[in-house]
Amino acid sequence: MNAASDEVLAALARAGHDAAEVYTKRGRSRRVLFTAAGPVASSTQEEGWAIRAGGARGGFFLAGSGAPLPARSWPAPAGPPLRLPEPMPVGDWRQPADLEAPLLAENEARALLEAIARELAAELPGARVQQASLQEGASESEVVSSRGVRAAWRSRAALLRLEAVLPGERRVSAAIDAAERLAHGFAPSALARRLADRLHVLQAGAAPDRDRGEFLLAPAVGARLLLGLLPLWIGPGAAVLSKGLLQRGTRIASDAVTILDDGRLAGGVLAAPVDGEGTPTREITLVAQGEARQPLLPWWAARPPQTRASGCVRRASYRDVPGVGATHLYVRPRSEVSVASLLGGVVRGYYLLDVTGAGAFDLQGDRFTLPVCGFAVQGGRSSAPVRGAWLCGSVTSLLRGVQAAARDLAFFPLDGMIGAPTLLVTGLELRSSSSA
Amino acid sequence: MAQIADQPGDRAEAFFEHRFERLLPAQDEALSPREWCEEGFAVRLVRAGRAWHASRDGLAGTAFIEALRQIARAQPRTALVEPAMPESAEWQEDATPLLEFPRWVERAIRAEHVAFPLRLALRQHARAVLVVGSRLVAERQSERFCSALADLPWGRIGALLPRLDEGAAAALAARLVARFRARFAEPPASGRTTLVLSPDAAAVLLHEAVAHALEADLLSLSGRPEAALGVQFGASCLNVLDSPGAAPETVRRTSDDEGMPVLRRWLLRGGVVEQPLADGTWADASAALLPGAARRGHRHDLPGPRSSHLELLPGESDEAALLVAGDGGLWVNEVDRGALDPWDGSFTLAVPCARRIAAGALGEPVGPFRVRGTVAGLLSSVVAVGRDVRPAGAGWCAKGGQALPVWATVPALCIEGADVEAL
Repeated sequence: MNAASDEVLAALARAGHDAAEVYTKRGRSRRVLFTAAGPVASSTQEEGWAIRAGGARGGFFLAGSGAPLPARSWPAPAGPPLRLPEPMPVGDWRQPADLEAPLLAENEARALLEAIARELAAELPGARVQQASLQEGASESEVVSSRGVRAAWRSRAALLRLEAVLPGERRVSAAIDAAERLAHGFAPSALARRLADRLHVLQAGAAPDRDRGEFLLAPAVGARLLLGLLPLWIGPGAAVLSKGLLQRGTRIASDAVTILDDGRLAGGVLAAPVDGEGTPTREITLVAQGEARQPLLPWWAARPPQTRASGCVRRASYRDVPGVGATHLYVRPRSEVSVASLLGGVVRGYYLLDVTGAGAFDLQGDRFTLPVCGFAVQGGRSSAPVRGAWLCGSVTSLLRGVQAAARDLAFFPLDGMIGAPTLLVTGLELRSSSSA
Repeated sequence: MAQIADQPGDRAEAFFEHRFERLLPAQDEALSPREWCEEGFAVRLVRAGRAWHASRDGLAGTAFIEALRQIARAQPRTALVEPAMPESAEWQEDATPLLEFPRWVERAIRAEHVAFPLRLALRQHARAVLVVGSRLVAERQSERFCSALADLPWGRIGALLPRLDEGAAAALAARLVARFRARFAEPPASGRTTLVLSPDAAAVLLHEAVAHALEADLLSLSGRPEAALGVQFGASCLNVLDSPGAAPETVRRTSDDEGMPVLRRWLLRGGVVEQPLADGTWADASAALLPGAARRGHRHDLPGPRSSHLELLPGESDEAALLVAGDGGLWVNEVDRGALDPWDGSFTLAVPCARRIAAGALGEPVGPFRVRGTVAGLLSSVVAVGRDVRPAGAGWCAKGGQALPVWATVPALCIEGADVEAL
């Protein structure tokens, strides 16, 4: 553990702060960008600390670069009392082997981005990657507190952003973001196909008439819907919010819906033994076959045995005040269900591939709209590309209308890693405008 | 730096940064105050259209040499000597205005005989920047300003303020009261109407529709940036400049984040594009573009062309004349946000509330709506520019994930036949 952190803790104790915590983080990353101005290779090393201290009189937060140092004077704490977690056993945790893997070299990163550009051009002639950014990083974090918490953990993550363009009479563009633990995990052909599909439907598609039917939602669409519904699943306020959506006791969704959050998900980008406060992470079932179980709750909000706590306090960097959030929140896939079997069963409806902008979710008003693109489907086959469409409906219809989940679970870097498999949903509507 | 930039056309710079922020969150929030104090540097080499960049937290000489070696494409002929690094900044920002400001706002609201739930968060920002190039060392730059974020049951209002004083509190309170009074107002009917934009609202419009549209990197998405020169982009009454040197005193700049002297840059003269916003990289690529508009949100970010302080030169219309020109239309006092699609030039402004203009006076409030159109269409529909300029914070700009404050000194303006959509 960092000796400087202990010195700071001692200084805070001498200053009369009953509750004190010192968090430190060191990280390094490499990034390669293809920009309109030319390629850029960048390397970053960050090192910083954050202090939370106070007690019954309130608390304060300080953060800075470098190593933590005892201050000559500390700010006067204010606001609600500061409470910090007690130490808890971490349990069974095996350090991922990939933590030791070297960061991607500049030429490897360049080769990966060039491979994606080549695959895209082959998949959809004329299409090209206009801007791209590939970043891979590793970090080590530590937290010590006056309550006796002493935890250390390491992380790995790679982020990719691609922006592509398809010239023509209707020039269109599309962008995607993806995350993996290691940059080697990105599959150029799959990414290129996703971009190509989206560019094609944006260029060749037409806005739909107001329509209903069966909707097959690709993982990118399912994940964005889940993102819009996060307030229903996270934090102490979630139970109140979801109460209005409950049907017959605790039923909130159809049998096909099981939603989990797992801070230790094997292979997950954010997998760690503890959260940003040093509290052990675990898998928590939020919705089990349509029954609302419990929201994702930090230690201070859980009321055992009715609700269990999970380490779900995130700190993206030393600059961030800890906050409750998802790590890997996802709809459980069904390994026996293929996407092809779901598509083949759609008599008349839509296969929605991606989201084209920000949606609007009014959870109290029980309605949502999400801009989407994809294909119209007749008899299990795509009949026409669709763009400029808005998937609309009530939140209750969405949750209760999920007929099936496929096996192709995919995660997206949204607010945490949010994942969904392809979902078959009924009871929603497609419109050509968000306000129609 | 000269050892690194050792080939013709090379550009190299070291960027040193000290930052301080203090946040006083809303009263019911935990952890108050919150303070951030950071320092670090970035070095960059641009050679033949390619760039290498390395950034580090902290100001250690050994880390600086290691970063220089990383961006140098060959080992320098002589050993790199560890330099004396800039000293750490001792920030001694007075927190008193942060504590007083909520009381001033509350008093100004009470003076309007209204009361409503309000959560107010205030932030002090301070930043000092030193850029060392391969030939020049620019003058040290510093910026100090404040920002406020007010949460009402009817939405969120943000403000950028050069300083926290009673005048700024009164102006913020007026916006809060206007939002309160419009809370149940129905949106206007969708369709075409005349809009009179207050200086605050005009600042957002100009930032989105002129500044972003004339950034070299965004122009390059649809062709060569210099092709925009000479294009009639808006009505002839529009004379728009970016002049960081004329910004409010506490955020005034003499050089940009690449160490280049800033310009009084005519973006539009008589509605015609004269000089897009460019940084050194884009200026190297085209003799028609001038550097001096590079900004970076953080040392770990790459610099890019951005506006700092927009000016719209005054016209001849006083407020009464603008209200006459806008008769039957809407007075827009503030804009929530704007968005420009650089691919097709389409543009939206989200307006939380406005007031009807009838018989040359402000009438009843209206609820939220969106202004839609193309940049060229909207700017060519400007029919009058006010004569009274006012400093205004255009707001935080988050292009490319880099949050930067944007300032403006502009008058009100009138747009005819704007396409509005009720929300």
